[in-house]
Amino acid sequence: MTDKQLRLLKGTFDVLILKTLSWGPAHGYAISRWLRECSGDELIIEEGALYPALRRLEERDWIEAEWKLSESGREARVYRLTRAGHRALDREVTAWRRYITVFTRVLEARPGGALS
Amino acid sequence: MSREFDDERLPLSRTRPVADDVRRELEFHLEQRIAELMERGLTRERATAEARASFGDAAAVEAECRAIERRRRASVRRADRLGTLWQDIVVGFRVLRKNPGFTFTAIVTLALGTGAVAAMFSIVNGVLLRPLPYAEPERLVTIEERHDNGAGSVTWANFLDLEARSRSFAAMTSYGAWTATVIGTAQPLRVRTGAVSAGFFKVFPVRPVLGRLPVPEEHRLGSSPVAVVSHEFWRDYLGSPRSLENVRLKLSWDVQVVGVLPPGFDFPDRTQIWWPMELMEQSLSRTSHNWDAVGRLRSGISPDAAARELDQILAGLGPQYEPDFDATGAVVTGLQTAQTGSMQQPLLLLLAASAVFLLAACSNLASGILARGTARLGELTVRSALGATRTRLARQLLTESALLAVSGAVAGLLLAGGLLRVLTPLAPAEVRMDRVGIDGWVAGFAVGIAFVATLLFGLFPALRLSSASTVTALREAAVGMASRRRMRVWNLLVAAEVALAVALLSGSVLLIKSFGRVMESDLGFQPEGAVALAVDLPSVNYPGRSSRISAFHLAALERITALPGVVAAGFVNRPPLHGNGPTGSMVVEGKPFDPSGRFTGYSIYRVTGGDYFRAMGMPVLKGRGFGPGDDVSAPKVAVVDQAFADREWPGQDPLGKRVKPAGMDSNSEDDSEPWFTVVGVVPSVRSSGMTDQMRPTYYFDHRQRPPYRTAAVTYAVRTSSAPEDLFAPLRRVIREVDPEVPVVLQTMPQLVSRTVADRRFTMLVLGTFGGLALLLAIVGIYGVVSYSVAQRTREIGVRRALGATPGRVSRLVLGSTLAAVVPGLVLGALLTLANSRALGALLYGVSPFDLPTLTIAVGALGAAALVASLVPAWRAVRVDPLIAMRSE
Repeated sequence: MTDKQLRLLKGTFDVLILKTLSWGPAHGYAISRWLRECSGDELIIEEGALYPALRRLEERDWIEAEWKLSESGREARVYRLTRAGHRALDREVTAWRRYITVFTRVLEARPGGALS
Repeated sequence: MSREFDDERLPLSRTRPVADDVRRELEFHLEQRIAELMERGLTRERATAEARASFGDAAAVEAECRAIERRRRASVRRADRLGTLWQDIVVGFRVLRKNPGFTFTAIVTLALGTGAVAAMFSIVNGVLLRPLPYAEPERLVTIEERHDNGAGSVTWANFLDLEARSRSFAAMTSYGAWTATVIGTAQPLRVRTGAVSAGFFKVFPVRPVLGRLPVPEEHRLGSSPVAVVSHEFWRDYLGSPRSLENVRLKLSWDVQVVGVLPPGFDFPDRTQIWWPMELMEQSLSRTSHNWDAVGRLRSGISPDAAARELDQILAGLGPQYEPDFDATGAVVTGLQTAQTGSMQQPLLLLLAASAVFLLAACSNLASGILARGTARLGELTVRSALGATRTRLARQLLTESALLAVSGAVAGLLLAGGLLRVLTPLAPAEVRMDRVGIDGWVAGFAVGIAFVATLLFGLFPALRLSSASTVTALREAAVGMASRRRMRVWNLLVAAEVALAVALLSGSVLLIKSFGRVMESDLGFQPEGAVALAVDLPSVNYPGRSSRISAFHLAALERITALPGVVAAGFVNRPPLHGNGPTGSMVVEGKPFDPSGRFTGYSIYRVTGGDYFRAMGMPVLKGRGFGPGDDVSAPKVAVVDQAFADREWPGQDPLGKRVKPAGMDSNSEDDSEPWFTVVGVVPSVRSSGMTDQMRPTYYFDHRQRPPYRTAAVTYAVRTSSAPEDLFAPLRRVIREVDPEVPVVLQTMPQLVSRTVADRRFTMLVLGTFGGLALLLAIVGIYGVVSYSVAQRTREIGVRRALGATPGRVSRLVLGSTLAAVVPGLVLGALLTLANSRALGALLYGVSPFDLPTLTIAVGALGAAALVASLVPAWRAVRVDPLIAMRSE
């Protein structure tokens, strides 16, 4: 892993997982692979960290799990977004978007009268 | 990426153990990752190492996942349980609604039980348990002087000595309370007033909400009269003035109101106005027992120790003042005990009776639920066969019982509220119903009962049902067979119910009999056909030594006697049954005043006017009563009662003997008191109560005694028409004599019956419990017997087919009833006998071992049992063998 890789901000991981599941049910490995591919290996995510995160989301009733046969014919714990999860995702995405906009605006602003 | 999954759910996927669940998921991840890396051409070893590295600390992840998963499952289980409970409740409601008859009976039975207990508990709680609403109430005691005739009021002189010398008390006060006429408010009022000595507000350290308390200088003879009033009086009759400057009232004096006491304070006995008793000139005779006394013990001093100290002080006083001294010691009693006095035992008895009644109600309900549970056995076994666990079924049954119990408790509380309202006017004065209410304690008590009841009658059938093996149960339900064991349980319940009902019933019969004896007891006068009219002349307009008092009475008597229908009219300073006081000693001519060093002439002192004896229906036994000629200037005459004559002149003719009251109406022994010649003898009357002994009494005519003795009197008016018809004319004539004199009217029988309010209260309440218990027993026995007949239809059919006569069949049914009822009757009789000691103290003229009473109770229950099983027996006789044997 190089210095170019991004450290994941606290709280953003859950949003990414929910977003992934918004396309449809998936098991843990599929989620992990999707995140890796999407971010182009730029995000540092210890793969193991995904699982406690999934369990916590399940505890909050945002996702639910079920053991199913996977494409490889093996049993996999498959997660699915619940109705509450959908709502939570919408809320979180909006919040993050606003955060990023405001953050960017401040970063790009040039000093006016106030600071000179 | 591929997202297609086989939609087939794995069996039991949700019950996989936590460790397994977590391990498999993580293993799956690693396998997939390794496979992917190998696809890219890595060797298995390299791929494995790479996968593990990118995964991170697998052991930590696994532990964390397990912890979260365990927590999650626990909370899911909790939610599940709540969900099931809700489901149970919904199902329970549905089941209860589908059987309105059963539900209604069950709730009513339970409501009766809990209602009775909750009502009785509220009364006991309010009257006996809750501390009196005064500061440190446990230190408050009543102080009485003991003498040869019992214990009672104190004399002013003795009280002053006790107060000055005793070290056991932080404070002591003597007081007198009576209803007086008060002028100064919008209209003349009849108000409870209390004359209290200087220590009163140290014994009851209340802080006035407005103004001040009387200062010590105002507790002196001749000082300017002041008074304090209750918060309620200030609010309701004075109009809540912020300043008391101009608030003056006319009592015995024109008093200035200086303070308002905090809300709720009304000692003694609902007093509204308090004023210093030192304003009155006091008799210093040490045999004039005029006042009550209470004290506040020093902390750590017991009432017994205080009594011993007072005994010593009194013993020291005796030799100094004899013969004008009759105290042999002191009695010190806790104030709460003294106030509830005679009601303590009856109340506890009634509470116990209500608990017994509740037990009877519960056993009734238990047999009802058991019977219904058996009827539902079919449904339950089917459900059990379909996979419902036994605990699940038991829980369902328990929930149903709990629903019943809670509805019963709620209905019971409502009922208790109603009962309290009904009992309020019936309650004797000792039971302060204004302090009784359904509060948190009582509600908690009722809920507690509901809970216990649930366990009692819910768990038992639940256990029976859930222990029955499915196969047996199914077969029983199909065949309609009542198992021997179940019948035994029923018999037990019926027996218990019958026993409790016998005990309650015989208790109430005993009380009813005893009440009858009390009412039959010879009063010495005839209450029927007479009116009692209480008159209290306001002392402002009728000063104590004024001739206006006798002028009022003479005018009133004249007008009353002239009313149509009036046969005779007279008055007395205190009517029979309303207490011994005032009492005093008598000097009897020719007898040593004090043969044994102690007063023997202690007797009841009555001052009458008009034709009192005839108006009361007291026939003059010898000589004559008072006549118009016995006025102030005539020779002094007295009438004595039989008990007095028997004590003073046994075997002699009392007529012509001479007596004189000693120190009764003066401050010192008055040698100028003339002799009174006895001119008549009348029957003795009961003075302090129906069950009290006849106490020696002497009578004077009011014109020959100081006027203040008749400032408050009760007129007796005998009429040839209905007593109530006389109320309006009597009111009118008193108004004609003086419109400012308030009157209180009742019939003489009413005046008598109020004095037995405590007995009537106990009798009515216990009688109600007894009657209801009998009713419950009938319902219970009917339910069980008719159910057992229904269950044995097939057996009965077979017997009929084999030639059993209707007589044999009905004997069979009745026999099985008796098998349960007879042990119950025997048990109930034993229970009654065991209880007789508790009841004995409340009885008068009846032994608690009263055989006829027991016979009545046992007979009534036996008859009730027979009646209850007649209908089912008749049904059994009509069983058609063919139909019965076909019935499956």
